[in-house]
Amino acid sequence: MAENKDFEPNIVAFLCNWCSYAGADLAGTSRITYPSNVRVIRVMCSGRVNPLFVMNALQQGADGVLISGCHPGDCHYMHGNYYARRRFNLMRNFLEYLGVEPERVRMSWVSASEGAKWKEVIEEVSEGIKKVGPMDQFKRRQLNW
Amino acid sequence: MALKKLSKEKVGEALAELSKFRLIAPAKSDDVVVFKQISDPAEAYLEYGNSTVPPKKFAFPQTETLFRFVTGSPDLTAKNVEEEGTTVIFGLRPCDARAMAIVDKLFSWDFDDPYYLKRRELTTLVGMACVEPPSVNCFCTSLGGSPFGTEGLDLLLTDMGDYYLVEALTDKGEKLEETLSSQLEDAPADDEKKAKDMAAASEGKIRRSINTEGIPEKLPDLWENGLWKKVSAACLGCGICTFLCPTCHCFDIQDEVEESGEGRRCRMWDSCMFEEYTVHASGHNPRPTRKERTRNRINHKYSYYPAHFDVIACVGCGRCINLCPVNIDILEILDQVVDA
Amino acid sequence: MVDVNKLREKAREVISREDVRELIGYRPGTYGFRARPAFVMGPDDTGELIFTPACVNNLASYIVLEEKLPVKRGEEPDLRKVAVMVKGCDSRALVQQMEEKAYDRDRILVLGIPCRGVVDMAKVQAKYPDVLEMGEIALEGDKFVLSFNGTKEEVPREELVADKCLRCRYPTPLVYDELLDEEVERFADDDFADVAELEKRAADDKWAYWEEKFSRCIRCYSCRNVCPMCYCEDCVLDRLQPQWMRRSVDISENTAYHISRAYHLAGRCIQCGECQRVCPVDIPLMELNRKFYKDVEDLYDYEPGTNVENPPLLSTFKVEDKEDFIM
Repeated sequence: MAENKDFEPNIVAFLCNWCSYAGADLAGTSRITYPSNVRVIRVMCSGRVNPLFVMNALQQGADGVLISGCHPGDCHYMHGNYYARRRFNLMRNFLEYLGVEPERVRMSWVSASEGAKWKEVIEEVSEGIKKVGPMDQFKRRQLNW
Repeated sequence: MALKKLSKEKVGEALAELSKFRLIAPAKSDDVVVFKQISDPAEAYLEYGNSTVPPKKFAFPQTETLFRFVTGSPDLTAKNVEEEGTTVIFGLRPCDARAMAIVDKLFSWDFDDPYYLKRRELTTLVGMACVEPPSVNCFCTSLGGSPFGTEGLDLLLTDMGDYYLVEALTDKGEKLEETLSSQLEDAPADDEKKAKDMAAASEGKIRRSINTEGIPEKLPDLWENGLWKKVSAACLGCGICTFLCPTCHCFDIQDEVEESGEGRRCRMWDSCMFEEYTVHASGHNPRPTRKERTRNRINHKYSYYPAHFDVIACVGCGRCINLCPVNIDILEILDQVVDA
Repeated sequence: MVDVNKLREKAREVISREDVRELIGYRPGTYGFRARPAFVMGPDDTGELIFTPACVNNLASYIVLEEKLPVKRGEEPDLRKVAVMVKGCDSRALVQQMEEKAYDRDRILVLGIPCRGVVDMAKVQAKYPDVLEMGEIALEGDKFVLSFNGTKEEVPREELVADKCLRCRYPTPLVYDELLDEEVERFADDDFADVAELEKRAADDKWAYWEEKFSRCIRCYSCRNVCPMCYCEDCVLDRLQPQWMRRSVDISENTAYHISRAYHLAGRCIQCGECQRVCPVDIPLMELNRKFYKDVEDLYDYEPGTNVENPPLLSTFKVEDKEDFIM
């Protein structure tokens, strides 16, 4: 897909309450600037994120989705992030198989102390999506409305 | 009315002429024949048996917006069907056209459905006679149809080898003939008789049949009969037999609302073979198993519909037999009804 | 080949047992070469039973498709066994169902049929579109022998056999109480070449490929209903609050449907191919399922429906699972 210089992607990020959300918060309180394309949805655990959430976000207008949780071994609920890891590895591969660029569905581990990493992650995700352009494979279209 | 002919070389030209309307014709999607809107005459695929999905969706779309709204605002914008413009469905089979004529009765019964009727008014049906019955499971002749049937059609084409014989059947058909005046020529004089012979030959090749006499009257007495349990035992409860039936017309109405508050009310095909079709808000389901649902499907076609409209809501296209994953055969069920 | 007399005799013996309520097998269909499911309730119904390469249905679906109405007051639920005939591929559905604790092993009685391949009925129909009277199909060596209208025709096995049989890993049932024939050695394997070929294409190409297919979908849900692994009492498709997939039919909702259907079968699909067989508009659903199957095998060394003791794939994890895709 052609690159569009003015394109600002919509990114939906599902962040776990205990690590990644706190990490993003730390980035904020530390006055770290990062791309403002991201819309954060706080969930209790990355294991809470249903693959349907990802699909639905892409349908409703997100150009990309990020799921972020605690580093392996640090999950507040012991194993939630391990389940999420399996789930989204498969989901990502599958969407790629259908022709949805892998840049659109990303996953990261960001701990509560990693405000700087959060910035890097968002920059990378945002750059990646800018490169592949707006999501228009199966966004709900307004054509027949 | 004088018969015309359309030489096969000029079909492309004729289709190009017709594409100033919304032109629907059979086309291939991979190896599946579907009716779809075409803009390029080369897309049309006229050497087909019959389409998997009947063309009913162009009179009664699978999903149709009725009106649009914004939550919190009293204003509604109703859909204007006229915007779709004049539609020509080119090359549909006589059974599918007859099915539309049957369904028309329902949509103009106790309430005139403005969406459906407007669309039908704007649609011209150009049929393609079945010189050979498209499938072994065709049984249109048992239900008053014919491979050369004209009911519901505006224009009938018959494949005569090098050309199509064109017969206008209604005013709409004649109008369309006028549109195509530069592509049509006068047909040879003996073609009318030839076409009649071909029709008889094609009817003779239809191999499955059912004597429907007495079935509508008999069905209500078989309500508690054990046959329903038997014939529905293998049923999966999918929507193939109903969605692909040219006369099935059940729909559901749902609202779809976006986060922004913009929404639309739309109606979409529903199937009496689905479990949630009859589920009440309380959770009670008056048709709790596939037995009741199968019974309803047969009763609706062969008993309720004739009771209201004097015509059986089945045209014998054979799709439900051909495509049922577990070989549930409506003719076998009807045979059992007759024997019960 | 299963001897039909032996099969009926065995069925008679099984259905006569006091602890068996019903036997699910195959009987001839209503036209052409079709066979269809048979539901035997008593010893007198066994006369029609057959097993031929026309017996394509996966009968394991009926175990979970059974409609359980509330038991009337004063009545006891019928807890007798259901006997079911399964081919190798079908038996894996039973294994996977039991792996997920859908029911207890002693609720079913499995009659295993080692199988060298069934036909693809669509291929048979395309080759013999005019056969209406009941015909028969048998597999003799590497040929299918089709008898109809008093004639016999031999067709090479590869021409009519179902694609899934060309890559069948488990021709002999993996679970059974009785085996109705000699065991069949594994005669084929699966290299997932079709999936690999599609994986290699460019993103735009892939999407164009699937868009054409998904836009044909009429959402009749036959692929869901026929699937032996789709047995949730409350399916996400039927739910209105929240309504994940809208009932409207367009490319967005159709894609959403196919993603969720395939994803729900990740690590569960046992490759019986029923979804693709029943699809009226020929969507290659197995190419979706097989992508997951391949990934699951590559990433987690897991093959669904092969061992009742395995924990379901997505309800478990290993600390050392791959995470090279995580930032």
